[in-house]
Amino acid sequence: MKALKQLMLLGLSTLVLGSGASQAADIRVGFGLDALTLDPGNHRSRETETIIRNLYDGLLTRDSKMQVVPELVSSWKQTDVTTYEFKLRQGVKFHSGDEMTSDDVKFTFDRLIKKDMIDGKSSPRAGLLGPLKEVVAVDKYTVQLKLEKPWAILPSMLPFQEVVSKAFVQKVGDKGMATQANGTGPFKLVEWRRGDSITMERFAGYYGGSPSIPPVGPARADRVIFKIIPENASRVAALLAGDVDIATELPVHMIKQIESSRNAQVLKVRGTRSFYVSLNNTKPPFDNPLIRKAANHALDKKLILDRVMQNAATPINGVLSPDAFGFEKDLPAYDYNPAKVKQLLTQAGYPNGIDVTLDVEGSFAEIAQAIGSVLTKAGIRTKVVVGEGTVLRTKWLQDKNKTGNMWLTSWGNGSLDPEDIFAPTLGTGDRGNSAGYSNLVVDGLLSAASTETNPAKRADLFSKAQRQVNADAPWIFLWVPQDIYGVSKRLKGWQPSADSRVNLHRAYLE
Amino acid sequence: MNPAKLLERLLQLIPVMLGVSAIVFIMMLVTPGDPVDIMLGEQQATPEQRQALRKDMGLDLLAPQRFVHFLQNAAVGNFGISYFHRRPVIEVIMERLPATIELTLAALVIGLVIAVPLGVLAAVRKNTWMDRLATVGSLLGISMPGFWFGLLLMMLFGVWMQWLPISGRSDLASQVPVVTHFLTVDALLALNFTVFRSAMGHLAMPALTLGLPMAAVLMRVTRGSMLEVLQQDYVTFAQAKGLTRQRVLFSHALKNALIPTVTMAALEVGSLLGGSMIVETVFGWPGLGRVVVESIFTRNYPLIQAAILLYALTYVLVNFLADLLYTQLNPRVRL
Repeated sequence: MKALKQLMLLGLSTLVLGSGASQAADIRVGFGLDALTLDPGNHRSRETETIIRNLYDGLLTRDSKMQVVPELVSSWKQTDVTTYEFKLRQGVKFHSGDEMTSDDVKFTFDRLIKKDMIDGKSSPRAGLLGPLKEVVAVDKYTVQLKLEKPWAILPSMLPFQEVVSKAFVQKVGDKGMATQANGTGPFKLVEWRRGDSITMERFAGYYGGSPSIPPVGPARADRVIFKIIPENASRVAALLAGDVDIATELPVHMIKQIESSRNAQVLKVRGTRSFYVSLNNTKPPFDNPLIRKAANHALDKKLILDRVMQNAATPINGVLSPDAFGFEKDLPAYDYNPAKVKQLLTQAGYPNGIDVTLDVEGSFAEIAQAIGSVLTKAGIRTKVVVGEGTVLRTKWLQDKNKTGNMWLTSWGNGSLDPEDIFAPTLGTGDRGNSAGYSNLVVDGLLSAASTETNPAKRADLFSKAQRQVNADAPWIFLWVPQDIYGVSKRLKGWQPSADSRVNLHRAYLE
Repeated sequence: MNPAKLLERLLQLIPVMLGVSAIVFIMMLVTPGDPVDIMLGEQQATPEQRQALRKDMGLDLLAPQRFVHFLQNAAVGNFGISYFHRRPVIEVIMERLPATIELTLAALVIGLVIAVPLGVLAAVRKNTWMDRLATVGSLLGISMPGFWFGLLLMMLFGVWMQWLPISGRSDLASQVPVVTHFLTVDALLALNFTVFRSAMGHLAMPALTLGLPMAAVLMRVTRGSMLEVLQQDYVTFAQAKGLTRQRVLFSHALKNALIPTVTMAALEVGSLLGGSMIVETVFGWPGLGRVVVESIFTRNYPLIQAAILLYALTYVLVNFLADLLYTQLNPRVRL
């Protein structure tokens, strides 16, 4: 009984005193999702990759302006339309101390593109390497990637892959790769507490990172800890309490709370995801281009950006982000013009306006409500219907017979090349063409661009396609949102990046 | 209870588990969404790559075949590979389960420790300010959403007072030998009080968030049944015999009055398991609930199946345990 009493007292004192303070040389990141695995080749999760990228480096990476730059290679060139040659940096060490050579690179890519290579199963990342069919280790420091057919965006897709050690994979097996790490990255793994945190410490033998992204050298922080905090409000609370130094991916309504704090600030960066309202081009009323144009004129974008998005987004008049290759900056904007809406609707035979539904998944319901009320005011009477994401994607992307009117949705463009956003969302019958849009002129331009290797000509093809899409108005064009991070004012050497990576190689606490 | 009865109760588990499996399987079958599509997201994949993934996930088989496969494998404890973790489901669940059990037990303890004394007090001091305060308090506890209450606690104790850590289960420095997988218990076994304090600190807010609403429900039940028991003849008789008030209350009345409380507590374990999904998300508690929620959104069928079976099993067993407890509280109860 006495022991029990003491135990209870101990419990009480815990409640009052709480737990110990943190070490200053650790950078803590409040992160929404845990890594699914630590195997760079065996997942299909952006968050997992963000964590892994601090342990493993890739052949190529992106600088702060999202330009593709060399990381583990000293140079690369395209030797013919289907062959790329990479010269590896010499003396790059894995955490185990082994040198990285072309053997490791070949092994890495074989593991990704060949069947049944990971514990008898195929890598879910194969699709990210398109028509890559063969990897040749020419000599100890030279690797060739051979494609089945021309694929202009190979360099833009390589930052998504990290190089593993052949010897290490053979030693620990594919099962071991899921929980252990031996990369060439700036940090090595200390401990992964599932669902709770991933701790890494500085790798003293680091080769220094991409010379295109100074400063080059070992990591500046002693340790980096990704703390997994799924709830937005809790991540912000952890930031305000000083439990974390970076809180990632926050909603706009939390900006004010962070800005009013003395210790933390908000950092924003334009993301790579284009938002739009997909209009069902296959059925009345939106099969009529006049009504689609009316919908674009009916949306007071400025008002919504200002009131709902707190101006943390860049309006667009087409599909591409201003940061993307081939972005056409002179696309005409559909101004907010209720009189014109009325005129267009009358012309289309609906003088009294139309009644439509707007599908949206829960997390964007608030924005959809705002859009709906603005459209309604202009005569496009909109009822917002909230659904689950996967259900909506099935409805809009899989079902042959499209039944909805409008869908507030988005498409990511991590490579910042039109290739993985333009054709998928607007090519006839393509995998992300929720609007059911089909224009043979656009299809022709996109198809020509996908094999064109001259950048200027390729950009021109995309420019023409963007003008055509803008004129056809298959969607209500919306915006590219900024990603919002809450960051401790003590944190230096780190800026959010458009690809939502959190690379902490150069970060330190003041 | 005789062994035959015990065996009978255990055998009853089989149809329950089969039924749960079938219902979960059918629900997942009719829910739109394809795990392969979800996994690939917006990126391109050739039909061959898609097919390879489908085969890896066992989705190339027909639904009835899949169900039979699942039952065959589950019977020998193999629940398949988690689509997204790409590791055995049982491994993923076992990594997370101890945290959830620890949290649930802590909440249960908090619930009972608050509810029973307050319930008795409210009943004995019926219609006094104490009774009214307890009633109002329990009404608040029942009506407050756990999500909101958790954030409130977090702002108060985590951000303003900075007494308690905001999220997670342990400090990075917390290293004790793993024996039971319950961090609080392991720390005590290792006599490492620094880690114990840290573990209790991390456990405090999630356990309170989960435990207080339960305390509110149990308090009302205890009060009600206590009031009823106190009016019975045997209590009056005990008082007439000249027994002390304490003796009458705790040895005679409370024992009987606790039966509805035990029933309710066992039933509440169901809501604890459900509620822990929300609380684990709010407090970044690395438990099973969070993985289940993520799995539902990503249609990670093998993990959902296994986890829900586990929940069902726990629920049935806890209620069985409650039945056993009745026989202790009132020897006249026979199972």
